[in-house]
This record gives sequence, structure tokens and C-alpha cells, in this order.
Amino acid sequence: MSDPIDERRLDDLVDLIVQLASGDLSARMQPSPARDSVDAVITGINLLAEELDTIYKTLEQRVAERTIALDQARVALERMALNDALTGLANRTLLGDRIRQAGVHAERGARPPCVLVLDLDEFKTINDGLGHGAGDRILVEVAKRLTSVVRETDTVARLGGDEFAILMPDATEDDALRVAERALKELQSPFTIGDRAVWAGASIGLCFGLRGQGAEHLLRDADTAMYAAKANGRGNVQVFRPEMHHAARERLQIASELGAAIAAGELSLYYQPIVELASERIIGAEALVRWEHPQRGLLLPADFIAVAEDSGHIIELGHWVVQAAISQLQSWITTFPDYPFQLHVNLSPVEVRWPGVAEFIREALEQNHVDPRRLALEISETGLMTGDVAGLEALLTLKQRGVGIEIDDFGTGYSSISYLRRLPIDTVKVDQSLIKDIGADGQQVAFVAAILRLIESVGLRTVVEGIETAAQMNQLRLLGCLYGQGHYFSKPIPAEQMTQMLSDQQTARSG
Amino acid sequence: MSTPSEPSEYESLIIDDDGLLVLTWPRGVKITGPSARQAFDDVNRICAGTRRPMLVDMATTDSVNREARTVFGEPCAASRIALLGRSPVDRVIANFSLGVSRVPCPTKFFTDRAKAMAFLREGIDE
Repeated sequence: MSDPIDERRLDDLVDLIVQLASGDLSARMQPSPARDSVDAVITGINLLAEELDTIYKTLEQRVAERTIALDQARVALERMALNDALTGLANRTLLGDRIRQAGVHAERGARPPCVLVLDLDEFKTINDGLGHGAGDRILVEVAKRLTSVVRETDTVARLGGDEFAILMPDATEDDALRVAERALKELQSPFTIGDRAVWAGASIGLCFGLRGQGAEHLLRDADTAMYAAKANGRGNVQVFRPEMHHAARERLQIASELGAAIAAGELSLYYQPIVELASERIIGAEALVRWEHPQRGLLLPADFIAVAEDSGHIIELGHWVVQAAISQLQSWITTFPDYPFQLHVNLSPVEVRWPGVAEFIREALEQNHVDPRRLALEISETGLMTGDVAGLEALLTLKQRGVGIEIDDFGTGYSSISYLRRLPIDTVKVDQSLIKDIGADGQQVAFVAAILRLIESVGLRTVVEGIETAAQMNQLRLLGCLYGQGHYFSKPIPAEQMTQMLSDQQTARSG
Repeated sequence: MSTPSEPSEYESLIIDDDGLLVLTWPRGVKITGPSARQAFDDVNRICAGTRRPMLVDMATTDSVNREARTVFGEPCAASRIALLGRSPVDRVIANFSLGVSRVPCPTKFFTDRAKAMAFLREGIDE
């Protein structure tokens, strides 16, 4: 071992060990041709270093793989925790975070955020009628459409069910209103499910935040505005005003009182005559429900029908209306047996899709010995456009029994004339908004004329509602419109007054 | 006595008159994965389904890399293996191979050819 060559080899070996110990596992030492014991140690250390190097590299690779897998799992978890699984949109939690962030920016000088809450008007009908698969496809499509109308900095979220929200940080009033109108327009276009076109529609509430306003507060106010849009006839945008909270409380109050009101006999029917324009003879009447509220006075359908639909009282209310109307109709038929008279009763979309509707109406007619042809049911345009198969079948059954089926408020929705042909209807009631300016606006006259001709061309009867002046009536007569109703002839009146009117007309006829 | 037909990095592979496989690596060889694989495949082919004891002459082998050591851990036609070397370096290399890859049949390192043959013959007698 005192050999200088051996000394040098051992020194080199020590250097190798130091180099390996420092972490350089690629270090190696060449054994000498002597292949003696020192070379055996060198070889062993080389081999151990190779093993260690391989094990380290394998470990590092495994750690890298596991780290990637962990990262992916963390991202997936975050996505699950913060995004809606169906649509991929932000969920309520993420929206809340983003509202808070926007609030922080507002404290530093940006404009306070604006929040829109959107609720689909006819989602339940579509979901119940066409199945949850169709409902899910519509929700995904809604998400796409909403994403297409917002700015890059906005967040579109699904709050749950058919309720969506849009957060617009640092938004001007114009920006927010523009996005709200575009969203409304996008959601009013039909959705294609298989070979069907269905209409979902949406009501939108918009709330401009205030500096320092919490996320929950902002969302609640936008939600309140959305309910105001629902109460305002759906399919519109409402900007939050503090008094809406009062209106929301009122609606809750009305909903809680409605059930008892029906039992307590606080509801009554008023009747608005429908006349033949040429002769101004009464050919029928539309039954309109009124609520004689002990504290609030006489309430109109607009005050409580939407609440009844949302609260589930609509079926009970609808039953009462149908039974009361048919009972009254029977009384008029008995009093005026030869008077050709048809009673029109409104049916809410919720009632149309109620499974027992056709049978219930048949029984009511039979119990009162009323010819089904004496009854016509009015269903709103949007109520018929949701593609609800069961509801349409019920209407078809009733039509086959002789009951008249009428589309109400035509011109307020998006139904095409060609679509009307496929519905089991015989009469179209043209909305008053179309004839409002008919006396003064030549273009509007041409427009209404075209609509009347189109309706006639598909073999349907037209009733124009909302006729308020002699000028409107004369213009409609000139256009060849046969039937109408409105304050020009009579406002809605109680049954006794209607009886008197019918009696007068009968006397005039026989006289 | 037969020899493999394909060229290889080992020097020779024969079945001797006693029916033992004798694999000889050239002096100073660096045994890698592919060369180990070729030897391994040739051993299996030459034995044609029978199992035989094998003498591996690996004296003065320069190195056996990790990939080659993994191949030596696979079962083959050898029923027991005597690794024959000369120097302490051969011993380290041989035992490293034995330790790292768990050998599938009785395997021992020898520096004495006669002792190696005796160990292999024990296999024939079994």
C-alpha cells in the first residue's frame, strides 16, 4: 500500500467518493488493468453509483408524474368546486368570489359591478314535456348563448336549475343594459331539440352595485328584479329598484292568502263581451277572474296569476274558474236557449300541462249539461310554444270534442304563422299592442292587414282584442276583421250586467 | 456440439461433451442489454426446450450494465449457473449481478474452474 501508484489510486478513489457524496452521481473511476482489490472497490463503487443514479432518476420521474397527476386532480377538484358540471359555467361560489373581487376593484376606483340574474320562463314545461335530457341540452345551449353576448371580463354563472347570472365588473349602465337586451334576445330564439323547435324565453333582473355592497346583497337584489320581470309578464328586463322588495313581499303575501281566498269565495268572474264587428252583436264573452281582497280591494289577474303560477295555486284557481264559468254559461244557455253564445275561458300553460286537464273540463261540461262547442279555451302564445307534447295532446282531445281552442295575445311572442298551422287551434286572438296605432299609422294598418290575411289563409278565425275607439273598430272592419273585443264595446262586467246585455241584445234581435 | 448461427458479442456458446452449456465472453467486454439479450436468446434456442447447467466464463469483463443485469434475472434454459472469473473485480461484477437481479436458478461465482464444474455437475445429478 506504500506504492505511490496505489496511493494515487486510493486518493482518486477518495475523490470519487467525495464527488458522489456531493450529489454528482454521474462520477465514475476507471479501474486499472491490474483488476486487484482496489480495482474491485472502484468497480463496486461505480456499480453502486450507477444503481443510485438509476434509482434517483426513477424516483424523480415518479415524483414528476405524481406531481402532474396531483396538479390535474387539484384542477379537476377546483373545477368541480367552482364550476357547474353540466354547462362548465362558474357556479354560485365562484360567482360570489368574482363579485367580491369586482367590489375590491370598485374600492380602488373602478365602477361597482353589475349583476344580471336570468331565469328561463318555460323551462319546467320543456323539462316535464320532453324529458330531462332535452332540458339539459337547453341549459347547455343557454350557457353558450349567454357566453356569446358578454364581454371578456364578464362572468357567466349557473346558480342552479334554470337560473343563470352574469357578473359585469366595471360596467356602465349602457354596457349592462346592452348585454341584458342581447341575452334576452338570444334566449327568445327557439331551441332545437331533435326535429322540434321549442321556446324557453327568459326574465332578467339587473342590479347595479353600490360601493361596499356585499355579493349576497347584490345577487339578492338582482334576483328580486328578476321576479319583478316575471311578474311583469315574463320575457323582459327589469332594473332593480328598492321598492321591488316591497312588491316581492306583497307577492309572498298574496301567494299565502290565495288558497284561503278561493275557499272563502273572494274570487268572482267578470265577463268582457266579444262582438261581431259588422253588427256589433255579442257572440260571446271572455271570463276574467277578479279577487275581492278584504284589505286590498279588487285585484286584477295581473296582480295574482303569475304568483299563483309560481306558488302552485294555479291549478286550484284554474279549476275554480272553469267550474264557475261553465256553471254561469249553463245559466245563460237556460235563460237564452236560442242565443248563439260562446264563453271564452283562459287556461294557464301550467294548467295545460296538468295531466287531468282534458278530463276535468269534459266532466265540468257534462255535469252542467253544456254543449262543448259553447266553450272556448284561450291559451297564451308563449304557453303553446314550449313544445309540451302532453299539453298539446290534451288540447287536441278537447278540440275533437268540440271545445274551441284559441291562441291568446298573438303578436307578443315569436310564433310563426306556419307553426300556428300545426297547433290544435281554431281561433287566433290578436294582441292589442298590434292595433294600438292603427288609427294613425298607415304602415301599422298594412302590417295588421297582412297578419289578418295570413291567419285567414291558414283557415283560422281572428278576434282582435283591445279595441278602444270607433276609429280602430272602423279600420278593422275595413280590413275584413270579423270579431273583436275591447273597452269600446264594454269593459269586463259582472255576470248580472252581462245577463242584462244579453237580454237587451235578444230583445233587439227579436224586435 | 453446436454453435449459434448469428454473430454475437459473446465469444462462443457451446454444449460440451458432458452436456454443459459453456458461454464465453471475450476479455475486456462491456456487457450491455442487447448483448445480454442475444446471449440469453441463443442459450434458449440451443437448448431447444431442455434445461442444462451453464458455465459462464466472464474473466476480465469490463462492465455489466443495469439493463444487462435485468436480462440475467429472467428465467432461461440454464438449470444452474457457475460464473467463472479471475480477479476481485470479476467477483464484484458477478456478485453485483446476482444481488441486483434476483437470479432464477442457483448461481455462484468461482475463480476455480474445477470447483465451478463440480457445482454444475451437482445440477446434472439432481
